[in-house]
Amino acid sequence: MARVLVVDDAAFMRKMVSDALAKGGHEVVGEAGNGVEAVARFQELKPDLMTLDITMPEKDGLTALAEIVAADPSARVVMCSALGQEAKVLEAIKLGAKDFVVKPFQPDRVIEAVGKALA
Amino acid sequence: MNVDEALIRLGESTSEAVAGILQMFAGDAAQPGPVAIVSADADPLASVSTPAVAASVSYVDGVTGGNVFVMPLEGARALAAAMMGEEPPDDEATDLTELELSAVGEAMNQMMAAAANATSAVLGTPVEIAPPETQVLSSLDKALDGHDDAAHMTSGVFTVFGRPCRLVQLVPNAFVMRMTKALDELGAEYLGDQGPADDAEAMGLDESLRAIKVRVWAELGRSRMPIGKLVGTPAGAVVDLDRQADEPVDLFVNGMRFASGRLVVSEGGEWAVEIDGLVGDLAATGEGL
Repeated sequence: MARVLVVDDAAFMRKMVSDALAKGGHEVVGEAGNGVEAVARFQELKPDLMTLDITMPEKDGLTALAEIVAADPSARVVMCSALGQEAKVLEAIKLGAKDFVVKPFQPDRVIEAVGKALA
Repeated sequence: MNVDEALIRLGESTSEAVAGILQMFAGDAAQPGPVAIVSADADPLASVSTPAVAASVSYVDGVTGGNVFVMPLEGARALAAAMMGEEPPDDEATDLTELELSAVGEAMNQMMAAAANATSAVLGTPVEIAPPETQVLSSLDKALDGHDDAAHMTSGVFTVFGRPCRLVQLVPNAFVMRMTKALDELGAEYLGDQGPADDAEAMGLDESLRAIKVRVWAELGRSRMPIGKLVGTPAGAVVDLDRQADEPVDLFVNGMRFASGRLVVSEGGEWAVEIDGLVGDLAATGEGL
C-alpha cells in the first residue's frame, strides 16, 4: 500500500483516481487542484507517489513536475494526460515521471501504473 | 477535394471521435447522427433545449478554429450519473451540482481533446487546444461567441440519454484551404486509383462518396515497450515487431482494418500489398481477426 497525492483540476477526476487507488489498496493522503497546490502539498505530505494532471490552471503539471523532481529526484510521479498530448507526455518522462495514463482510463490502468512506478 | 467535401470529412471525423468518448461514458445511451454543413442564415443550436451545458474550445496552435458541444441539462445530469456509476436522476433539478459540473466538464474536455486529435489526424499536423470552457447556459444566443473568424460551420447531431445535442465545428477560411490541401495530399497516397469507380458503382455508392479519397496504409507489426526505453532508443537500434517475416500484413483505411495480404514488390520496385481477403471475408472464415 502506498501513500498517494492526487492532483487534478477537476474534482470528478480526483474522485475517479482516488476511488481507483482505494480499490487497489492505496491510501490517498491528499488532493490538489493545480500545480501550485501540487508542489506545496508534495513538500508538506511527502507522499510515496503522486498522480499529476498535465493541463491545469495557475501552474501546469509539467512545470510542477520539474519543480518537484528538482527538490526530490527520487519523487515518483505518474502523469495523467488527455488524448493528443503525446509531446507533453514525452517531455514529462524526460523530466522524471515514472509512467502515465491517458484519459479516459479504466481504474485498473491507474492501479497498474502506480504499481509499476512503485516497483 | 472541394470545400464542402472537406468540411463534411472533417465534421465526420470529429463527430466519430466525440462519439467514442461519449459512448465510453454513456454506452448505447449516446448515439451519433449525421453531419451537415450549416448555411450562413441557419442556427445550428435551434433544436437544443435549455438550460443546457455548453463546452467551447479553440485551437491555439497548428490551426485556428474550434468546437462547441451543447447538451441539454437533463442529458448532462444523466451523463454525469453514468460517469459515476449511478442511475440517471429522476428529480427535476435546474442546475448541476459541483461534482456533476466537474464530471460533465471532464467529459467535455476529453471530447474536445479527441476532436482536436481527430482534426490533427485529418490535417496530418499537431493541433493544440486551449483549456475548454464549460458552462451552464439558460439561453444559447451567445453559445457560439468567440469564433467570429469562422466562415464555415458544420453541425453534428447526437442523442445523449434521449436528448438531442449538437457538436458545432467552426472553421475559418484559412483552415479550409489548409485542410483541402492536406486531404488532397493524403488522397495522392491512395493506392487504389486504378479503377475502383466501377466497383463503387456496383456497390451503389453515391457519386459524392465515390469522390472522397481515403488514406490507406499497411501495418507490418507492432511492439510494446516502456516509454522510458523508447525515448532512450538510439539510431541504429532494432525494434522487434510481433509478426514473422512471412506472415500477412494488415491494410487500414483511415484507421480501420479492412484487409489482409502479402507484402510484394511491384514491377516498378515499390512496395505493394497483394490482398488475401477483406475483413468481412476473414470474419466469415474466422481468420485472424
